[in-house]
Amino acid sequence: MDTCFRRICLIALLALPAMLVAAESAPLSDRVVAYQIEGRYDAKTHTLDATELLTYTNKTGVMLDKFPFHLYLNAFQPKSTWMTESHRAGQRDTSTDGKWEDKHFGSNEVKSLEVVGQGDLTKQIKFISPDDGNRDDRTVFEVPLAKPLAPGESVQFKIHFVAKFPEVVARTGYKRDFLMAGQWFPKVGVFWHGAWNCHQFHASTEFFADFGTFDVKLTLPKGWNVGATGLPTGQKDNGNGTETLSFHAEDVHDFAWTADPTTKVVEDSITLRGHTVKIRMLMQPGHMDSAPRYMSALKGTMRKFDEWIGEYPYPQITVVDPPHGGGGAGGMEYPTLITADTSWWMPKALLEPELVTEHEFGHQYWYGMVATNEFENAWMDEGINSYSEAKVMDALYGKTTSTLNSRLATLGERGSYMLEYSGSADRDPLSRPAWLFIDNRSYAGITYGKTALSLLTLESIVGEQQVLHGLHVYFERYKFQHPKPEEFTATMNEAIGQNLDWYWQQAIYGTQVLDDRILRADSQRLDWWEKKDEKKGTTIYHTEVWVHRRGTFDLPVTLEAKFDDGSKLRETWDGRDRWNKFTWDRKAKLVGAEIDPDHGHVLDRNPFNNSFVVKSDGRATGKLAGYWTLLLQWAEQALSWLA
Amino acid sequence: MSGSVRSSAGLVWRHQRILWWIFLVNLALAYLGSLPARAVLHSVLDHSLESAKLVTGFDVGAFGALLMQPEVNFDIMAPSLLFSAVVFFFYLLLLDGGIYSVYLEDRKLSRGEFFLSAGLYFWRMFRLALYSLPFFAIAIGVNGGIAVLSGKLSTEAPREALGFWVGIGGRVLFLLMALFVRAWFDLAQARVVFDNERKVLRTVGRSWLLLLRSGGLYLRYLGIALTSMAVFAVGIALWVYVPHHDTIGSFVVLEVVTVFLLATRLWMKATSARWVSLLPLEFVAVSVTEVIEPVAPEAPAETIAEPPTAEGAEPSPQE
Repeated sequence: MDTCFRRICLIALLALPAMLVAAESAPLSDRVVAYQIEGRYDAKTHTLDATELLTYTNKTGVMLDKFPFHLYLNAFQPKSTWMTESHRAGQRDTSTDGKWEDKHFGSNEVKSLEVVGQGDLTKQIKFISPDDGNRDDRTVFEVPLAKPLAPGESVQFKIHFVAKFPEVVARTGYKRDFLMAGQWFPKVGVFWHGAWNCHQFHASTEFFADFGTFDVKLTLPKGWNVGATGLPTGQKDNGNGTETLSFHAEDVHDFAWTADPTTKVVEDSITLRGHTVKIRMLMQPGHMDSAPRYMSALKGTMRKFDEWIGEYPYPQITVVDPPHGGGGAGGMEYPTLITADTSWWMPKALLEPELVTEHEFGHQYWYGMVATNEFENAWMDEGINSYSEAKVMDALYGKTTSTLNSRLATLGERGSYMLEYSGSADRDPLSRPAWLFIDNRSYAGITYGKTALSLLTLESIVGEQQVLHGLHVYFERYKFQHPKPEEFTATMNEAIGQNLDWYWQQAIYGTQVLDDRILRADSQRLDWWEKKDEKKGTTIYHTEVWVHRRGTFDLPVTLEAKFDDGSKLRETWDGRDRWNKFTWDRKAKLVGAEIDPDHGHVLDRNPFNNSFVVKSDGRATGKLAGYWTLLLQWAEQALSWLA
Repeated sequence: MSGSVRSSAGLVWRHQRILWWIFLVNLALAYLGSLPARAVLHSVLDHSLESAKLVTGFDVGAFGALLMQPEVNFDIMAPSLLFSAVVFFFYLLLLDGGIYSVYLEDRKLSRGEFFLSAGLYFWRMFRLALYSLPFFAIAIGVNGGIAVLSGKLSTEAPREALGFWVGIGGRVLFLLMALFVRAWFDLAQARVVFDNERKVLRTVGRSWLLLLRSGGLYLRYLGIALTSMAVFAVGIALWVYVPHHDTIGSFVVLEVVTVFLLATRLWMKATSARWVSLLPLEFVAVSVTEVIEPVAPEAPAETIAEPPTAEGAEPSPQE
């Protein structure tokens, strides 16, 4: 027995390295898709002629008799749903100038589609528009299989396509020689919860795709700097002024790449938990002063995510700095590749480069690994990522100075999100599909702002560490999966150890607005009929503070009252009625009262009515009115230039 | 040239009552215009602890949240801005005649004399302001056109910075054009008062020719404008270092800047007045060759060329 045990130990010891290697190369995701794409880029016409071999493995458990594909670049055509929505109401980031120009045109043209073993099905391609019935929208097509795909089986699609890039818009396209190639190849939809999920491209939506592997070969003008999802695996000089670069990426659900002859490459690395990640930045020559800012923000963010959320498992992260005029490509996330945003002479006081870098890296977790459906549940990536952004930026740059930090003025993440949110607080619930929001302002304010503020407010109810722990558990449980909102809330409830459905119901599924206020507060002599003078420390005062739930969001309220003898009292109210009266009979007069004295209810739309101080303080009014007076004086002088 | 600019500054200094009166009305109108905002802010801020974020610093988030409150209604505030600006414009237009009389004669006018001049020239000043509008509109149009071009170049030019620099150039050109129009019409205003000229349009034409023939006045305006910008920049730089909670200190610094802005505008008017008062021979030459008018008698010209209060030797206007 002893000998046998020793043998087992010896075998185990010998096998350990092999087991470790096997564990390292084990797939992190379910790898439903495997794309092999070869393309040749024509820099003059901004087109890519490519062939795609997609191997799809049916892990759905049901027979699949048809496959939908996204052709996102077809959104950049006059009658598409994306363009129509953009023209009428603006895009998710900017308003449109309303003019159609040829440079806005983009397309993804399928020249041929063959299913291996089933022949050429090009003529079977049918454009569909499941969201709005727009027959002119060509961003989704469907192809039926001659022979349905059984569970566990694989099918291969050979697609010859030509991608024509528009001038940079919606995070893809060219600007002069710069190219940001995003959403550039025919991408299969996701079979999710018993049905295909393949939405049209809308002005306010992002993306959704299955995990898998990518092997991409790109032929480009020689000498261009190229960045891409995954890792470079080869480089071949074609001898005709072009070269072919190869890349491999695994356990990702998208592949983006960028090319530019003028960028400068800045490289560094960071080691976290013994795992070294290479950092590669492709900088515009005019933006080199932002490079250290990007790098510092990126490393700080990676450390914080590693500490709070989980491990970044990929070997590389690439940061792309778009050129002047190409800002439409900035501020975007792709797996292991993000685009940042800066400008010439970016003031240090404005933390735009840091903020964008942080936000986009955060998407490696909330989108890249926890790959939620960005069409239907945009808050689960943008919103949760906005909360993470607030936490990281607060930690790195200060709670009140993480967005703007100058002598003149300051702005923190919380203030910034409140500005986004408060203008459209009661318009849409978080749970609404992105393209169904009333407008882009509401989409941004609710999806980014409300989610971040809701999770920050949740900290005041259950504790900061509890919320971060909940997100950590959620990440570990759902990385490389496509969770739904219910899975997020259930995981948070479980991890935090409380049933918070009452909160989620209001924050996620409702349009309730939080606005608690102090309606009235004063102290009066209890013996008001007495003619004796009041005597401090002896006279008893009856103090009343009326708290009014002006909004519709139910939240327990903590009230702090301060008295002129220096004492403070805290009391709570469950917030379930429209108002509550707090009363005290004390030998001290009320100095002031404040709801939420720890300032955790950042979802409260009006922070000014959360407190009431008995003694009026006109300094803020004086200051702002003084500025307004000055503006009026200058306006008067400006007009008098005519006299 | 610098001597002439200095003597014009001396005019503004000696007759600074004009400056203070204009400043007081400027401030009073703005104060009145700010009352609706003051009332609104008072109701929201004065009993709130949150307002500390706007006293001890300037938290843009808190300010934004303030603006989002339904009580803070821009509909109340916007008309006050327009109203005070229009009233101040007419106030200055009314004073223009009196101001030029003071600067041309370089003596303290009695209140009656001052307002007599003001009333006498008001309608002519108003017409001059009207005639200047198309030229200011041209300057604004050029600025807009260059802005469009700049935007186009920013997106389409092979050199990415080209659009930016064209945009900067466009704004500089706009400022130079606006300054030129102002110098031109200031000159016309000064000549209307100097000659008690009723034919305003003709004065506009002559002033145009005069300004073109001799760039001295324009260069003086440019110098004054640059001085104004420099002082403004220094003032704002100082203001940035005033502690946020020092509301009074902040107000005082900004008001000093505002007074200086008004003073430079008056400095320009004084320069025009001085220029006209030193210009009779040149004016005659222009009249003979371009307008073909009778030659003005020499005696008054000499009298005006050597005003009793002139400080030392004045430089020639042609320099």
